[in-house]
Amino acid sequence: MDLGHYAPLGAEALITAVSLLVVLIGLLSKGKSSLPGYLSLAALVVAMGLVFTAETGTVFFYDSLRVDGFSQFFKAVFILVSLLVVIASLTRYNGRPGGDEYFALLLMATVGMMVVSSAIDLVSLFIGFELASLSTYAMAAFDKTKKNLEAAMKYFLYGAASSAFMLFGFSMLYGMTGSTKIAEIASASLAAFNPAILIALIFVIVGFAFKMALVPFHMWAPDTYEGAPALVSALLAAGSKKMGFAAAFRVILIALLALKLEWYMAFAILAAVTMTVGNLIACWQNNVRRILAYSSIAQAGYISIAFVVLGVASEGMTGPNNLPLNQYALAGGLLLILGHAIMKTGAFIGTAQVASIAKNSEDPDDISNYAGLGRRAPVTAFCMTIFMFALAGIPPTAGYFGKFVVFGSAIYGGLVWLAVLAILNSALSLYYYLRIVSYMYLREPAGPRISESKGYVFSLLLALIGTFWIGVLPQGFFNWAMQAAAALLP
Amino acid sequence: MTGEPLAVDYYIPIILFLVMGAIVPIVALAAVKIISPLRPNRRKASVYEGGLKPVRDPKIRFNVQYYLFAIVFVIFDVEVLFLYPWIYVYASEFMKRFVIFGFINMAVIEMVLFIAVLVVGLLYAIKKEALRWV
Repeated sequence: MDLGHYAPLGAEALITAVSLLVVLIGLLSKGKSSLPGYLSLAALVVAMGLVFTAETGTVFFYDSLRVDGFSQFFKAVFILVSLLVVIASLTRYNGRPGGDEYFALLLMATVGMMVVSSAIDLVSLFIGFELASLSTYAMAAFDKTKKNLEAAMKYFLYGAASSAFMLFGFSMLYGMTGSTKIAEIASASLAAFNPAILIALIFVIVGFAFKMALVPFHMWAPDTYEGAPALVSALLAAGSKKMGFAAAFRVILIALLALKLEWYMAFAILAAVTMTVGNLIACWQNNVRRILAYSSIAQAGYISIAFVVLGVASEGMTGPNNLPLNQYALAGGLLLILGHAIMKTGAFIGTAQVASIAKNSEDPDDISNYAGLGRRAPVTAFCMTIFMFALAGIPPTAGYFGKFVVFGSAIYGGLVWLAVLAILNSALSLYYYLRIVSYMYLREPAGPRISESKGYVFSLLLALIGTFWIGVLPQGFFNWAMQAAAALLP
Repeated sequence: MTGEPLAVDYYIPIILFLVMGAIVPIVALAAVKIISPLRPNRRKASVYEGGLKPVRDPKIRFNVQYYLFAIVFVIFDVEVLFLYPWIYVYASEFMKRFVIFGFINMAVIEMVLFIAVLVVGLLYAIKKEALRWV
């Protein structure tokens, strides 16, 4: 017996240990120490290194966790999002009463998401899901304002309902196939197809769709993103939402093998409705965080195009350069997830900056508070502008490249109508993204110039670098995403 | 069950239970309704509080501290429950294969980790005075 066998799970172990340590430090210093924030920061940086150096292709704990290219990709995304949020939170929460709990919860949520990304067993998948959800329920109410509590309550009720759906689906899958391992369920349902498996899968997918905020399961997202503390909204939109995708990609394997029916059509409609509804409603919003929430619903629609292409891609279908089409589509989805995680975190941190200077206004996130931001807070305004362009998919940014691959895979898969609809939607989305930009640069400033908080500026700039890096030098990221896709779909 | 068609026979007892479960309360309630004489008065209709005269409205609010105590209690209750199967595994031949540094059983390490996480939670609850009755 050799402990070195568990080395690939070092990142999870480290973050768990540090989260407990942060709780203890907070107790001993009565919440006044500023150590928790810096300790969390250091732990996440080291964990990022461990994720990239971990040996892949190993299975742990009786086939319940697998460390492979796919899981490492998602873990990198989750750690990156948490890292940006921690840096931005240093000024706001570190050393304040309750700050230790904030950082501990954030680290626990990160561990939960990481467990989901490597879970190949439904039970450990559920445990990771719940760890991340319960931690974020508490974080959504963290400032204890009336709005926070409303947001957290809505998030909690929807989250609890979605967990119930998911668990019911899992129990039916177990009942039909006698196993909780995803691979065994897939082979058992391939051997003997049973309509009950279809029903179970629908329950599971509905459970995930709540987390992914696909229409018609999106109702909670705008209210929660608007009401929760801005930095927590960043974590929810960029991190916890991607956890839903990680889980769905893992479980969709069962569906792929078991149901070679016309089921992809259901996903195509879901994707089309999701992006259209998200973009249309966003046009009528005046609260910037609600705009971002609806935009993230629309982005979930773009990402789910990858599911549709996975459904139509049969053996031997290829994308550009003779790459297998299913891997190409999944890689596109992963790139969009990576890009969206960075851009959305950045955009929400930008709203946190604006909300902190517009505290006395009736609605700190109202678009009128963004008037003349270009002169009031030049760095924030510039970064926000780039994130808006990136979310709309303008080259050379991360948003463009991810969309390019996903829409391209839809065309290679013969779903031209879906690709056209997605491109039309991107054009529509420019309206509300540019509306924010025009408020920031073309309106008279709403107040005097302010000094921007260092933590916010630093994480905004990091996100900015990431956005451009993926957009300008996409090849390395594309290869990485292809590797991750190949790990899931050999 | 893998690969074989669902045998409906297995489910007949369950269906019987469901049907009986539905019939019994209906019959019982209906029988009471038919047989028993119904003469209500004030004393009879009042809330039962151990045979004494009710002293106040039964719709009172519970202190939130009940929940805190209940949660902490349940956590440690489950922990003790979890220790029983653990003992069985710890003493088994199977675990003898998982020994590190020659003498430490992996089962011990796992249980120490599990309890350590709970102890941190207990320390948190004590320090935050969640367990002090006010």
